[in-house]
Amino acid sequence: MIPLFDTAAGWLQETLLLPLLFSLGLIQWEDISFGWALFAVYGAAQVVVTFTICVPLERWRPVERWPNAQAVVVDVIYTFVSRVGLLPLITFVLFFKLQVELNGTLTDIGWVPPTLERLFPFLFGKPVLTFLIYAVILDFGEYWRHRLSHAFRWWYSLHALHHAQRQMTFWSDDRNHLLDDIIGFAWFTAIALLIGVPPMQFPLLVLLLRLIESLSHANARVSYGWLGERLLVSPRFHRAHHGVTAAGEVSVNYGAVLPWWDMLFRTADFSREFVQTGDPTAEEALATGGYFTQQWVGARRMVRGIFGSKPRESG
Amino acid sequence: MLAENYSGSDGLTRRAALGLGAAAALLPRAALAQAALAQAGGGAVLIMNSGAASLSVIDMATRRETRRIPVLREPHHWALTPDRKELLIGDSSGNELQVLDPVTFAVLRRMPVSNPYHLAFSPNGKLFVVAGLARNQVDVYEAGTYKLLKRFPIRSMPSHMDFAADSSVVFLSLQGTGRIAAIDLRSLDVLWNEECGSAPAGVLVHGSRVLAGNMGSDDVAVLDAKTGKLLRRIRTGKGAHTLFWAPDRKTIWVNNRLDPVSVVVLDAATLDPVRRYRLPGGPDDLEFAPDGKIWFTMRFIHKVAVLDPGSGDYTTVDVGRSPHGIFLNPRAIASA
Repeated sequence: MIPLFDTAAGWLQETLLLPLLFSLGLIQWEDISFGWALFAVYGAAQVVVTFTICVPLERWRPVERWPNAQAVVVDVIYTFVSRVGLLPLITFVLFFKLQVELNGTLTDIGWVPPTLERLFPFLFGKPVLTFLIYAVILDFGEYWRHRLSHAFRWWYSLHALHHAQRQMTFWSDDRNHLLDDIIGFAWFTAIALLIGVPPMQFPLLVLLLRLIESLSHANARVSYGWLGERLLVSPRFHRAHHGVTAAGEVSVNYGAVLPWWDMLFRTADFSREFVQTGDPTAEEALATGGYFTQQWVGARRMVRGIFGSKPRESG
Repeated sequence: MLAENYSGSDGLTRRAALGLGAAAALLPRAALAQAALAQAGGGAVLIMNSGAASLSVIDMATRRETRRIPVLREPHHWALTPDRKELLIGDSSGNELQVLDPVTFAVLRRMPVSNPYHLAFSPNGKLFVVAGLARNQVDVYEAGTYKLLKRFPIRSMPSHMDFAADSSVVFLSLQGTGRIAAIDLRSLDVLWNEECGSAPAGVLVHGSRVLAGNMGSDDVAVLDAKTGKLLRRIRTGKGAHTLFWAPDRKTIWVNNRLDPVSVVVLDAATLDPVRRYRLPGGPDDLEFAPDGKIWFTMRFIHKVAVLDPGSGDYTTVDVGRSPHGIFLNPRAIASA
């Protein structure tokens, strides 16, 4: 499959991107555009894979059925922006540039930048194994970012956009406020830089983690069983996090991919069945508004969160 | 009007494998090398897979990848030490040089170096120059000791380089600003920094002139090596990229990234284009093999193309993602 994706990215690069860059006078960025082409192809493939897995699941065993699923449409937009469009480009360009600068500077002062392969030489030449180790470390970081996003009022004001969805489906994973995404990206990037994730692996790690996260948002009555739920975050486990009683500054089941961190830090709750989702404290626009309305209301809510006034409750 | 030559063949030429068989596994390495060299068209090609953090070793006889050598992050170009005993692979975002034996490709050691994108030794073997494309810097080292003599912060994106024959000057393309810079290697000062076009990539010294492939337009710029004055432009095709001397120095080979994706041959005496080969897939660096074939890395299709310049036919060999640098050694050993 990988050669097929790479070939598709090569075609995209040579047929569409290079002529576009050439006409814009930006062809010096051809290496970057090729990186984006690869991630866009992988991102599109991931959306297709997620769609192929989740749609039958959601039809087979839906938790809820809605007469009108209009609120889901905006989540589809979030997904494409996040996985195929601008975000992979920004993440790759920024991450690449930051890593080159940071590591180059460290090399200049005689300190070889850390990488897993240098710390553990037996990992050298084992990209799959190092990829998985990086994934575990980054998931640990994601647990804490997510937990903190609930702990601070101003941050949760942004994150409430994610929780406001009452029609939660696999598309809902990417419904985030842009500022929340930027903070999340900065957090993820800082950890990735610290542990020396290779630039080409970085967006792939994002995509792998997001694939599992999408599944965990599915509107599907799916549990992985007693053991499985303790190995990987399931739709049932994550739905408890999105439950109306868990929304807000104290919640449960923060884990994105691995529930280990919730178990370790005593925030796991395996007891809840398939609860109703949504955030009763969030403005209605955050649940059912369009993309730009949600962004605006989220930003306004954050400002109120910073300056201490309590966000207006939904009507 | 250029004579165009295009072959649609894009599959691997399936020759009978020249593997030495199980008995060969019992031979000592030297004997294996001799056996390998005894094969017609023996030797090996090393490919820098810039998007796969690896090097591919291709058996020139069978045209198959025989092994893959891991590197830390992102290998692009190489340089052979003046004594020809060590092959340095620049790992640009890994910030290190991976030092290989140029015959066996065994990894000898690794050296931390800041952002080694393009790298080369001066013809007299005294200096080692590294272009750091992502960090906007050019570093001049003492060859052998690899002591940094001077860093030139330079805007922007120093990409490729070539030297004056007497090693007095190194010329570098500045991809981000559309300029060529000349650095005096005796005084370690910038001699000149002049506009040459848009997004120059490859640089080639041609006597008293410097040639640069303008990737952002459709030409090769010809500059006066002493002053940097633009003398003429040679239209080769959109996205002119790298330039290489043929071994007999009668022709210069120029790759074009865009319409038409091709390789154009210039007459070295007149600098007029004399032939074009269509080669879709992002032709980049190339090497001339002793049998007359020309090996190209193909950045966007993850292959190496082997072109027969007589017929224009080419075959391809699968390698890793985004292959860039290529090192061909007829004496090298392909097997592990």
